[in-house]
Amino acid sequence: MKLTVSRWLVVISLFASALPAASRTRPRYGGTLHVEIRTDPLKSPDGIARKLIFDTLTQVSDSGQVIPALAVSWEAQSANHRWQFRLRSGVHFHDGSPLTSEAVVQSLSASCKHCAWHVRAVGDSVIVTSDTPLPELPAELARSVYAIARQDDNGNPNGTGPFRFVANSNGILFLSANDDFWQGRPFVDAIEIYGNRPVRDQWLDFSVGKADLVEIPPELLRQAQQDRIPLAMAARPSDLLAVSVSAEQIGDEHLRESIALALDRAALFNVIFQKQGEVTASLLPNALTGYSFLFPAAANVSRSRELRGAQSVPLHLSVDSSSAMLQLVAERLALNLRDAGWNVRVLSQTSDPNAELALHLVHVEAADAASALQETLEDFGAAVRDEGSNPAVLYQGERSFLQSHTVIPLLYLPRAYGVSGRVQNLVLAPDGTPFLANVSLEDAK
Amino acid sequence: MRAREYNSPQRMTSFNRLLAWSIALLLSTPSALALNTWDVSSADLARQIVALTGPGTITLVVMNRSSLASDDVPIIRRALERELRNAGVMVRAKDADSDVRVTLSQNLQGWLWVAEVQEGSETRVAMLPVPGATASGAASSEPPITLRADLLYAQDDPILDVAVLGTGTEQHMIVLDPAHIKAYIAAGGNWQLVQGYDIPHSQPFPRDLRGRIVPSTDHLFDAYLPGIACNATKTGDSWTMTVACSDSDDPWPIGSQKAFYNSTRNFFTGVVVPGFGPKLPPFYSTAELVRISGTAFLFADVNGAVHLLEGGSHKVLTGAHDWGSDIAVVRSECGSGMQVVASAAGAPVADSLRAYEISGHEAVTASAPLNFDGAITAIWTGSDKTSATVVVRKPQESRYEAYSVSLACSH
Repeated sequence: MKLTVSRWLVVISLFASALPAASRTRPRYGGTLHVEIRTDPLKSPDGIARKLIFDTLTQVSDSGQVIPALAVSWEAQSANHRWQFRLRSGVHFHDGSPLTSEAVVQSLSASCKHCAWHVRAVGDSVIVTSDTPLPELPAELARSVYAIARQDDNGNPNGTGPFRFVANSNGILFLSANDDFWQGRPFVDAIEIYGNRPVRDQWLDFSVGKADLVEIPPELLRQAQQDRIPLAMAARPSDLLAVSVSAEQIGDEHLRESIALALDRAALFNVIFQKQGEVTASLLPNALTGYSFLFPAAANVSRSRELRGAQSVPLHLSVDSSSAMLQLVAERLALNLRDAGWNVRVLSQTSDPNAELALHLVHVEAADAASALQETLEDFGAAVRDEGSNPAVLYQGERSFLQSHTVIPLLYLPRAYGVSGRVQNLVLAPDGTPFLANVSLEDAK
Repeated sequence: MRAREYNSPQRMTSFNRLLAWSIALLLSTPSALALNTWDVSSADLARQIVALTGPGTITLVVMNRSSLASDDVPIIRRALERELRNAGVMVRAKDADSDVRVTLSQNLQGWLWVAEVQEGSETRVAMLPVPGATASGAASSEPPITLRADLLYAQDDPILDVAVLGTGTEQHMIVLDPAHIKAYIAAGGNWQLVQGYDIPHSQPFPRDLRGRIVPSTDHLFDAYLPGIACNATKTGDSWTMTVACSDSDDPWPIGSQKAFYNSTRNFFTGVVVPGFGPKLPPFYSTAELVRISGTAFLFADVNGAVHLLEGGSHKVLTGAHDWGSDIAVVRSECGSGMQVVASAAGAPVADSLRAYEISGHEAVTASAPLNFDGAITAIWTGSDKTSATVVVRKPQESRYEAYSVSLACSH
């Protein structure tokens, strides 16, 4: 596998060296952008197409500030128990229907069935009320899970975003530019997204000029950099690699701590990921919080053995079978656990109810620390409370959760893309999602 | 685990208190003179540390895990030690009641200073967010013709154009952004906002929005945005302006010509009045040069070529292959007296500007590049014709800066 991938990297780098180096500074309109990804662009909550078709009420800037999107202003009342979001006027869904507070309420209610808050429409505003204070609600509503989404008469996605849904056939999602987008029409006329495409196929298409944007997995990033493949990489790592430990099956906290202490993050970082991303024992990357170094990340096999004692129950580590990288990581972790005296078997299934341990790759979309912590805790099924953005409070919340050793953070991995020479002005959101509305094509006519 | 120990409280006598104040005053005088930017934050963090340790002795380690300059670390350490000492906590090299490790970290919002207080096996943590931003480098320039950039104005919202109108106490700066026309007066070395006008628009503006302020002889100025024209007049004797904007496809003035702008895109359509005969291809920007042989009209088309129209002939300008999309003409006392400034073609992260002489139908480099640590989003000839207004987007800071760029001759 590695040889094959290396060969494609060489092919790509040869192709890349022939790309035009110069570009015009002012973006050009027109053309079709070809994107290839490994996942379904629409189905996952943070799917790339969702951010193109839908908008959120708020956005979080690169510097972590909450800025207006479909909501132009917001106001907290009753000590953050009640929020009023005033909607932008003159915005229309792709089917021509106006954006109304009722439509927003319908969308938020559908996307937030288990939320602790209640939402209702009042005039051109949306009111969110909650029994508990929600100081970080504006930042929370910037997550794509809370995108304002509808379906048209044919059941197709219908939003207010920069691109309209056209068709989804033969694994290709066709989108066209929304001329009436409230932030201005995108530069490209259309985007074609090839979903569920293996990396090798993506790179083949990239090497022959059939794809403009392809994924570079973190384990191949270093090689791609060495081979000078044109890359776009997110400003901070956004994919958390972590092991969850079932507290039901391993009730003894000391045994869970033994497992945590056996795992060698440095080896994963150095060997498999070629020093890309960052080693972490905290739920959030240091770039977001500034305090992740407070969580010790070094393995301690002798202490792990000590805590394990005479425990000899076999462990099962489940892992997504479709990812060769995750399987490799799982095998490596199993080796660590065996070194500490644990008897471990790797199960190649995404979610095996018999497995005491599971390996996860969790994407953290939120661009501010408080929302990112909520998002990550939700992903691991933990109870979530919005307690504001004070770093000391976030640290305490994270620490008390991690002390149970039911989730063992390992690494934060970056998202990166190979970018063809005709793509101009590609910017990645802080979580690594390509912001395609601003992209223009050098050879657009 | 070692029990937590405090020094026994000591009651100060009046004499001791007077002595302590005198010493503190003596000690603090030079510190106050050399008050550095970290003093307040150091005092805040020291207070948090003392709340955890109580009075006594500590060991102190200060580590830098941020982009803070290493020169600042000893300054912060000294400030911390001073504040701790003032609060009754003495720093020792070893054998102290507590071990304190201060890490100077950072996150999205700025610096984050973290103090870990270890007493026995127990570690407690204090954190202090410290607002801060990294300094940015200034633009630089080199001879032979030297380009000089003076910062006119900066704001977080996009800037489309800036014009300085009038002179002396009557001088006003007009700033055009996507939502407003704002007027400022010079006051105490700063520009002070005196009037703002919201620009109404019924249709969404195109991405890569452009706009232009054009001074007028019979009223204050006109402002043009895609599909909108605004007219600003002076009300009475005071410098109070009245602005009226309306939907309009009127052509934008470009020197002696007027050009129609595509209201849903980022370029001129190519239709120019009174024009040169045949319709031009769509273009981004123009420069009008007065030469001995007549007036030459340069335009940068949307395909990257720069054209020269002069005396009925049409040629592609040579020597302009590395030009970006934006050009403007600037008068100077150097060379031919009229140079073209052009942005560079290339990645839009860090742009540069360069001056050129137009000799025949060839562009000849006349200055070293003036580098900006951001992307140039607009270049317009300034209202005085002897400068160009250059707008730079600084992605790191999400900030727009407008510069007045002028040309100086090297000797």
